[in-house]
Amino acid sequence: MRYPFPTGKNDFIQGNEAIARAAILAGCRFYAGYPITPASEIFEAMALYMPLVDGVSIQMEDEIGSIAAIIGASWAGAKAMTATSGPGFSLMQENLGYAVMTETPIVVVNMMRGGPSTGQPTLPAQGDIMQSIWGTHGDHMLIVLSPSTVQEAFDFTIRAFNLAEKYRTPVVLLGDAEIAHMRERVYIPHPDDVEVINRKLPESEEEHKLPFGDPHGDGIPPMPIFGRGYRTYVTGLTHDEIGHPKTVEAEIHERLIKRIYGKILGHREDIISYEEFELEDADVAIVSTGIVSRSAIRAVKMLREKGVKAGLLKLHTVWPFDFDMIEELAERVRKIYVPEMNLGQLYHLVKEGADGKAEVELIPKIGGEVHTPMEIAEKVVG
Amino acid sequence: MQIRFAGIGGQGVVLAGVILGEAAAIEGLNVVQTQDYSSASRGGHSIADVIISKEPIYDVIVTEADVLVALAQLGYDTVKNSLKEDGLLIIETDLVKPERPYIGAPFTRLAEETTGLALTVNMVALGYLVAKTGLVRRESVEEAIKRRVPKGTEEVNLKAFRAGYEEGSK
Repeated sequence: MRYPFPTGKNDFIQGNEAIARAAILAGCRFYAGYPITPASEIFEAMALYMPLVDGVSIQMEDEIGSIAAIIGASWAGAKAMTATSGPGFSLMQENLGYAVMTETPIVVVNMMRGGPSTGQPTLPAQGDIMQSIWGTHGDHMLIVLSPSTVQEAFDFTIRAFNLAEKYRTPVVLLGDAEIAHMRERVYIPHPDDVEVINRKLPESEEEHKLPFGDPHGDGIPPMPIFGRGYRTYVTGLTHDEIGHPKTVEAEIHERLIKRIYGKILGHREDIISYEEFELEDADVAIVSTGIVSRSAIRAVKMLREKGVKAGLLKLHTVWPFDFDMIEELAERVRKIYVPEMNLGQLYHLVKEGADGKAEVELIPKIGGEVHTPMEIAEKVVG
Repeated sequence: MQIRFAGIGGQGVVLAGVILGEAAAIEGLNVVQTQDYSSASRGGHSIADVIISKEPIYDVIVTEADVLVALAQLGYDTVKNSLKEDGLLIIETDLVKPERPYIGAPFTRLAEETTGLALTVNMVALGYLVAKTGLVRRESVEEAIKRRVPKGTEEVNLKAFRAGYEEGSK
């Protein structure tokens, strides 16, 4: 396999370009999208690269069609991705729920910009954190990852595909306009050095007949490929293990939804990832995710220089959320600060986790500029 | 080291930033390059930031510029406050009228004289910057230019860069 970009070496590229290259190295061979600032370069790169790796890149009529197309492609056996920003992500919510309900592995990239509505197209924000978790209706579970560097945008994209395949679930990669357009030195590994996970396929007749069963007891059904084996019924309606609609039986609905929750929450330790900076002896903690984490690291360094025992918990996985870890943190520190580029979203999760064991203070910022390290440090010093 | 380019859309400000960043990356330095521009494709302000360091870089935009390269008054006015008090101001002397000490040259005129194309002003300014500051090696920038400019325009861009470098070496 020849790749249409250099591998095994450093490059100086935008976050959007890094996401496209990572997707291809993770095995993505179908991309459907609709252009939108600040995510368009992902589509541009995919349009360029896909024909060169025997893949397909298609412009759909809108974002509803885009996510519908990748769900279909995934059922046809391809690893598939779409990318958008706030307004498009809103349009995708219905089908995001469909992907949850039909347990379809897909990767949806949302490069956040200022909102609501068309808002600030060219400027970064983190106003879609809650939407990425709870934007679609009904009880549901999915995975949300958020990078803070171009290297992380690359690495987390590969991880997003692997998690989607492993847990047969949609995964949202939550970037922002800053990561999208920022160029950084990034290491593009040799394809042999990239860990690639592929979905479980049905192996027995029994498994073929039950595309929504749980033959392995891990809550993750092997996924058949359309056109190979039996006819498969795929529906957003509540369904039994065969896939047939069963819309009034309480126990069937409960079993299905609890399995969808369980396959992710039961593997939290595998899914949740984070990094700690200077937290061992910290007196105050900062909890952040995405682009703001960069300023938070600098803020911790500045505070340490001034003698303030500050530390940082940098969340890579936004959802599922490790409420227990936050509670343990709250027991060790005096206060937790949550800087984020919105008027309070991650803050509420942290506050719930802290459960009153430590005071939690939001450091909000909107308008299109990332917090400066000084802004965070000044808040902590008070 | 924080370097900021400021101009208006159409001057190639972002490309100048990208090429400087690529040159730093070629030299194995850590580098972050970001940009800020209005939604107008021409005429609005256009800002490109480059942060170069041997250490990991956490900043995403220039907060206190060590060097500001201003190619148009609108761009300069938008970001002039971000230049450190003892920072270096480099200007397009025909188009920017600053109220503080500066160095510079009429980059657009130089571009026209050298290549016949005013739009190579970005490469002239980049050459001047590199000559004056030694931020990165001249060879690294030339390699970056070859990688980044549209195919077929390498020579004209290199010519503009060298003219700026010469001007800056005077």
